Amino acid sequence: MPVDFALVGHQESWRAASDVLAVLRGPDHPPIPDDEVPEILPWIPPRAVCRIEARSVLGAKAHGLYIDSFIPPDRLDPSFLRENLGRVRDAAACASREGAKIVSLGGFSSILIEGNLDRLPEHTGTAFTTGNSLTVAFIVQGVERMCALEGRDLRSSTLLIVGATGDVGSGAARCLAPRVKRVLLHARNPERLQTLAAELRMAGAWVDVAPDLRHPPACADLVICAASLASPSLLLEGIARGSIVCDAGYPKNLSPGSSGARVFSGGLGQVTAGMTFEPDIQSVLYHQPVPHVLHGCLLEGIALALEGRFEPFSQGRGLITAERVQEIGAIAARHGIHLAPLYHGDAPMDLAACQSETPVG
Amino acid sequence: MEVVTCLNPSSTGSAASGINAAIWQDVLSQAVTGEMIAVLNYSSLAEICTDPEEVADALEHADGERGHAAAFAAEGAKLGIDVPNNVGAKYWKRLRAAFLRQIEARDFIGCLIIQEVMLESFAVASYKRLGQVAPGTMGTTFASIAAEEEDHIDHAMAILRAERALDAQRFDNKVYALHLEVMTTLAQMLARDDKDCGCELCHGGCVKPMLPNVGLTSSELRGASLQHYLRTLDALGLPGEMTLAWVAQLPV
Repeated sequence: MPVDFALVGHQESWRAASDVLAVLRGPDHPPIPDDEVPEILPWIPPRAVCRIEARSVLGAKAHGLYIDSFIPPDRLDPSFLRENLGRVRDAAACASREGAKIVSLGGFSSILIEGNLDRLPEHTGTAFTTGNSLTVAFIVQGVERMCALEGRDLRSSTLLIVGATGDVGSGAARCLAPRVKRVLLHARNPERLQTLAAELRMAGAWVDVAPDLRHPPACADLVICAASLASPSLLLEGIARGSIVCDAGYPKNLSPGSSGARVFSGGLGQVTAGMTFEPDIQSVLYHQPVPHVLHGCLLEGIALALEGRFEPFSQGRGLITAERVQEIGAIAARHGIHLAPLYHGDAPMDLAACQSETPVG
Repeated sequence: MEVVTCLNPSSTGSAASGINAAIWQDVLSQAVTGEMIAVLNYSSLAEICTDPEEVADALEHADGERGHAAAFAAEGAKLGIDVPNNVGAKYWKRLRAAFLRQIEARDFIGCLIIQEVMLESFAVASYKRLGQVAPGTMGTTFASIAAEEEDHIDHAMAILRAERALDAQRFDNKVYALHLEVMTTLAQMLARDDKDCGCELCHGGCVKPMLPNVGLTSSELRGASLQHYLRTLDALGLPGEMTLAWVAQLPV
């Protein structure tokens, strides 16, 4: 079976890692004790875990692999950067060896590759994409849908983007800055932040920098978290009550608590014609209340494969434009890959949409 | 049961003492026994080879493994400890029996898979880790023997790749059948829950819980061994998702 696409990812929690190993062990073997999983997982070299068939509403099918880089969930911080780069590179090489025509680098993998393109395997005939353009498309669509659900006018909103200078954050800023009243940008790197702010101002947006999230701007009523926060409650308690918050970080760790914020998981899409995983680890990989949901970054590779466009659609850092976001969104939509029903955890944000969008696959 | 020998019965040094000496004694016992099993396996292999060059290679490997066993025993002597070996000990006996079944079937490829892919993965990965933590010349000895073991795998890998190219499905089925027997035994040897320590080599209690005293854990040895094994199977061209499932199903 030809390999049209490969999705490179990793588990975001030990629970998820345990569940994957349990599926691989099968029903005849007792699960590995939870406390042994961290002793086993880090030793597994990056490799394919399952085969995937993704279907288009146009009738086309694409065949691919899910390749896990087996980055341990507790080793995502910068002190493990070198080790993790090596793992992602090995996973990319694995995808090339398998003959994948296009590879989506999901989650932390895309973050690692954004600025390290020279570390990708060379001369392999495999195209690599971070998948971030489609992630941005689903974030933007999610914000639009939540505003519609809540009866908010996007044009009168003050949008705070956390992690604004990253690929996803800056892409979302370019798409939404012209459509909101004011944009507040936050990121750790002040130089990059000023550069982005200047770019958006040049395009006519009202842009300010939010320097300190320990004192969040109370005027912000729309928030996109494109980076996971160490202390999410500080942010949620500080912004305007009832704010719409798109949790687009990885891993997603925002909980509204008593803040009154309307938090939803952003950047997720759904393959409405369905997908098949062999072995069936779909529900284990993605703990979503609805089927056939994946992160936009992974779905970008599937959409491009279904379209027959085996090209590095999203590469580099900070290069995502509103035009490219629109283009990948249209490609995905043509094959029935749409914004996933909006949820926070298991709680649907839009019950009617969730009930009406049952996939056919 | 095959012979139980003590390679350095007269050693009387006192460089090591207490708990660590006891740990190294058990670790070296495992290493020497593993090398003696390799001596026996290569000697048996020589008996079924038809190509004179393969016979010479097998005998040369047997000699090399005997030298490794002697080197480990000598490291024990430097610490003032005897290093008994027991090729009839529970797990090693099982591994030898699995190899002998391939000999009886005159299955040269089966023999190479067991010795070069499975047992050597275990030895090379373990020795590398031991080379990082063992004191003095023992560390150097473990590291250099790991490098030697790694060197002589190349020839076998070329033969195995050629064999797989003839019929990948048949080859993979054979590897899986041997995996179930050999790798299950190796995984049991290193399993954390093997509390009874039926290895019949530890001279007191099970050495596994004591390994952190010398900067090591049995989980680390198991993880490194299985990682090396998976990479060897990758190099042979076996599908990664298939071998991952095999390894995921081993005892823990």
